[in-house]
Amino acid sequence: MSEVGKRESFTVPIGPQHPALKEPEHFLISVDGEIVTDATVRLGYAHRGIEKAVESRTWVQSLYMLERICGICSHIHAMAYCLGVEQLAGVEVPPRAQAIRVLVAELERIHSHLLWFGVAAHEAGFDTLFMYTWRDREKVMDLLEGFSGNRVNYSVNVLGGVKFDIDDTQEIAIREAISFLEERTHHYLDVVTQDAMFLQRTRGIGVMTRSQAEVLGTVGPTARASNVYREIRVEAPYAAYDKYPVKIILDSRGDLEARFVVRLTELFESYRVILEILETLPDGDLTTRIPRRIKAGETVSRVEAPRGELFYFIKSNGSDTPERIRARTPTICNMMSVVKLLVGHQLADVPMILAGVDPCFSCNDRMVVLNRGRKMEQLFTWEALRQYGIDYYQRHSA
Amino acid sequence: MESTTISDILLSLIALLIFPGGLFLLFVGLAYEWIDRKLLARMQNRVGPRWFQPWADIIKLLAKEEVVPDAVDARLFIGLPIIALAGVLTAAIYIPFPGLPPVGSFPGDLIVTIFLLSLLTICLGLAGANTLDRFSLMGATRALTQLFAYEAPFLLALLGPAFVAGSWEINEIIGYTDGHWLIITQPFGFIVAVIGLIGKLEIPPLDAPEAETEIVAGALTEYSGRGLALFRLGKGVALVLGLALIAAFYLGGVATPLLFLAKTLALLLVIVGIHALFTRLRIDQTVGLWWRYGTLLVLVQWLGIIIWQGVMI
Repeated sequence: MSEVGKRESFTVPIGPQHPALKEPEHFLISVDGEIVTDATVRLGYAHRGIEKAVESRTWVQSLYMLERICGICSHIHAMAYCLGVEQLAGVEVPPRAQAIRVLVAELERIHSHLLWFGVAAHEAGFDTLFMYTWRDREKVMDLLEGFSGNRVNYSVNVLGGVKFDIDDTQEIAIREAISFLEERTHHYLDVVTQDAMFLQRTRGIGVMTRSQAEVLGTVGPTARASNVYREIRVEAPYAAYDKYPVKIILDSRGDLEARFVVRLTELFESYRVILEILETLPDGDLTTRIPRRIKAGETVSRVEAPRGELFYFIKSNGSDTPERIRARTPTICNMMSVVKLLVGHQLADVPMILAGVDPCFSCNDRMVVLNRGRKMEQLFTWEALRQYGIDYYQRHSA
Repeated sequence: MESTTISDILLSLIALLIFPGGLFLLFVGLAYEWIDRKLLARMQNRVGPRWFQPWADIIKLLAKEEVVPDAVDARLFIGLPIIALAGVLTAAIYIPFPGLPPVGSFPGDLIVTIFLLSLLTICLGLAGANTLDRFSLMGATRALTQLFAYEAPFLLALLGPAFVAGSWEINEIIGYTDGHWLIITQPFGFIVAVIGLIGKLEIPPLDAPEAETEIVAGALTEYSGRGLALFRLGKGVALVLGLALIAAFYLGGVATPLLFLAKTLALLLVIVGIHALFTRLRIDQTVGLWWRYGTLLVLVQWLGIIIWQGVMI
């Protein structure tokens, strides 16, 4: 916490429980009147130990575990993992399966972006827009439920392919929903670029220059809104993206409005790709056989999640369980940009700037112990951990 | 005063406590709150609350334990909501609600009424400043900032009709406006008055003092039980009274209860529409709006009235 001159600064805690945040995270905002003078973030409230948990599960079980890292982009996590494991095992996945993976990934991007759009509108106090976008988002949720039976963890992937096929009735349903959403997205794009009241809250707010965006290591639409050429689907096409190339959407303005425009324009790319896949869906099998034990080795799998680059490091020791899996979600890359951008803005802009990177806090919490030559053994047994918890709360509840 | 009889006192008490003030007013306030919520929900593609929801909310809040936080002046903490509600209920005496002549009247009661309505905001600000909660303090600062922004234009907007009626007594003004639709001759005043009411009641888009996503519940963050219920009741009553005042002044008077209902509900529809259509303004934008446009518009209108009257004479 910094001090302004000799005065003690007035700090406003945003989180871990706060109406602006849908997930627990702690931002300590120092303000001078309404102006933010300093901001710090504390992560880690939703650490779930998933990386450790997969080490005691088989390759197949880990898929279901990793799919639950994120409730919004569950498919992309499973897809990144599958692509990595298939690469390690050296199996070739049938083209139809790859196309369906891309199709679902794009449907997921649509529902994620619409969800974000609604939340961002809500942060700005524009609840009508929030309600409308979430109503439209239901179309995509219905599609996902239609062919997988689930709205959130649709579990489309298996190692070596996909579980669900697209039949004619689903194809019709998808086409109908896409044409409806396309019309709505045009309308929303008009709203974010023309509504004078909304522009007062977005235009020129939270401006991040291209060099700032590069230095802060931002990824995804947040980076692309600052004109950074960073899009895994374009730079390193995976799955079926080499057959169905997407156009990168860039904006040079770098403010909140640009982030709205980039995400909404990306939706049109998603619609186009989905329709293209439906036109030219290759025939063939949905799965291929994959060995229970994966050959020893390590690999990196990078995919473009709705929020940006999702990175998986997968290491196998030749057994039926992974040796080490590391998942880095895009939110953690964008977090520093939030803390940096907040300074100098008004407290009222804090929720908007925070929402501007489309944060997904629960996904990003990983633990890393930096052991800088010191002896820092902090391994607990289960009993000791339990006792520590009891002592901690007794100490702090007095 | 010697001629006051028991029955006179009884009638006054009934007028104050049961009808049209007091209980009946509280009831109507909650009914208008329901209409507000339901209309908004329908505009936002939602189902909205059932008809008894505001009453259920208030009863639940009244039944809850009131937590008085540490480091507050407990008397103020408990007393401020009561003063706020008492203020708006007192204002009802001078307002033609519901379409009946005001219960009480004296020259200059317009000013008293407007300041009784402001008492709600002042109590809100004090209630926020009374606690150590940081959200409450921010909310209180914003509430009072907003008060200073809209109060003068709002007052000027309501004085416009008083000016042409030649009286600062509400009863006489509504006698003049009955049949005179001042919205046509004083459109700026009407607009400023409606937006002033939105600001007074902290309805979006002018809800920066209680912006949920920034400062939780603003000045009321620490209020949980009875205090919160009383503040909410006060706001419901202030909504009805504000609508009544504007309808009576600008929309050709509210001579009968039926006219009252029709005109205030039409006004409410406008306010809900504004609520649904716009993004929340930041507090600096709110202040800018009032001092750059609101005040200017009203002053231009005042100039117009003065010149017009000069020409007529």
